[in-house]
Amino acid sequence: MSTRDSEGDGFRAATLEFLDSLYGAALRLTRNADRAQDLVQDTYLKAIRAQRSFTQGTNLKAWLYTILQNTWRNRQRDGARSKVEFDSEAVERSAEGGTAPRGLEQTPESLLMRDTLNADLQAALDGLGEAFREVVWLRDVDELTYQEIADVLEIPIGTVMSRLSRGRKQLYEALTRQKA
Amino acid sequence: MQCREVEEKLASYVDGAANGNAAAIAAHLATCDACRQLAHAQSVARTVLKARAAQLSPIAPPGLRTRIIANTANQPQEPILAWTGRLTAFAAAAMVVLTLGAVLLPVATIRSTTLLAAQLALDHLKCFTIEGDADGAPIAKQQAEATLKQDFDLIVKVPASLAAEKLELMAVRRCLYGDGRAAHLMYRLDGEPVSLFIVPGVSRPAAELSLFGHEQVVWTQGDRTYMLVARGGVGDGLARVASYLRNEAQ
Repeated sequence: MSTRDSEGDGFRAATLEFLDSLYGAALRLTRNADRAQDLVQDTYLKAIRAQRSFTQGTNLKAWLYTILQNTWRNRQRDGARSKVEFDSEAVERSAEGGTAPRGLEQTPESLLMRDTLNADLQAALDGLGEAFREVVWLRDVDELTYQEIADVLEIPIGTVMSRLSRGRKQLYEALTRQKA
Repeated sequence: MQCREVEEKLASYVDGAANGNAAAIAAHLATCDACRQLAHAQSVARTVLKARAAQLSPIAPPGLRTRIIANTANQPQEPILAWTGRLTAFAAAAMVVLTLGAVLLPVATIRSTTLLAAQLALDHLKCFTIEGDADGAPIAKQQAEATLKQDFDLIVKVPASLAAEKLELMAVRRCLYGDGRAAHLMYRLDGEPVSLFIVPGVSRPAAELSLFGHEQVVWTQGDRTYMLVARGGVGDGLARVASYLRNEAQ
């Protein structure tokens, strides 16, 4: 085995560390197990081919997410049925209108932690618009930086922040509504 | 700080990334119920999600891992720009060609060698880096010639792969450039993308150009113009390959 091949295998092994995360992201996007697997396979193929363009020392997970998101966007674009680009304004508006206009009653964190079932949390997440769900997940679960999220989703940092804010708020409201 | 300004920065405040603004935001929260509730909501949502994420995250099916390993074995690696950068490079190149076209068309008609070179360099970039037309396994010259004849009605002598120079014939396609059609033979030279375009019915003086970081070698044989396109800095292998292709393509 040549040096180049073993380097390649090392890179592939490093990318496979994130297989579950990528599969999760693909499921959130496609909402279908077969399509998610297909999307992840495609993402890996592209990542392995393009591995020389990965900059050492940067976030490999964010790099893989970027490829995944891009592949997904291209597919959406190719599949004529769906409109790809989010209408940003419409997205922001829907976030405002999505919940009944009421104050954010203070539900203690400990209560929500104890009483929220995984299924409830999943339902609350599913209830978020795709644009919000992804930002919240990338930040709060994957701990990507704002800049990394902006790169992955190809949106400005300001939009990352406002979607994160509103996504979290909606999530909180959905969880407290379940308790009410 | 006003509510509006605080709201914009609240997300980063909640995850401890507000840096220089943290004190000012904290001071505002101490006096503003609405913003404090918003901060509380964000903080709880983040905490609950973080704590439960592991249980919500699906595990990839075992077969998927196996398939990925099988699919990615011995994949050729692209030596070029990051693919995010590639699109930018492509967009920039497209802009230059549009501009060149606009400038040159009225003056020199489309018969400008530079414009032709620019269009073909762009096509080279597009096919290799964006559409991945040459991502598969090398093909035989007979297959390439048959494809060009059957699918595109182009009779072209296709130079075969040349192991001594690490030159591999990857794909052929028809290329529509500005005002005509050309055969596009796609090679890899030690992994680097190299294109040979054959433009029938066009005679251009021999030239060596450099556009978009790519070298173009142009020559004419009979009623056909040939143009070799490769990224600059491929090395002196390119000169030998140019002479090989020139001899073989006659």
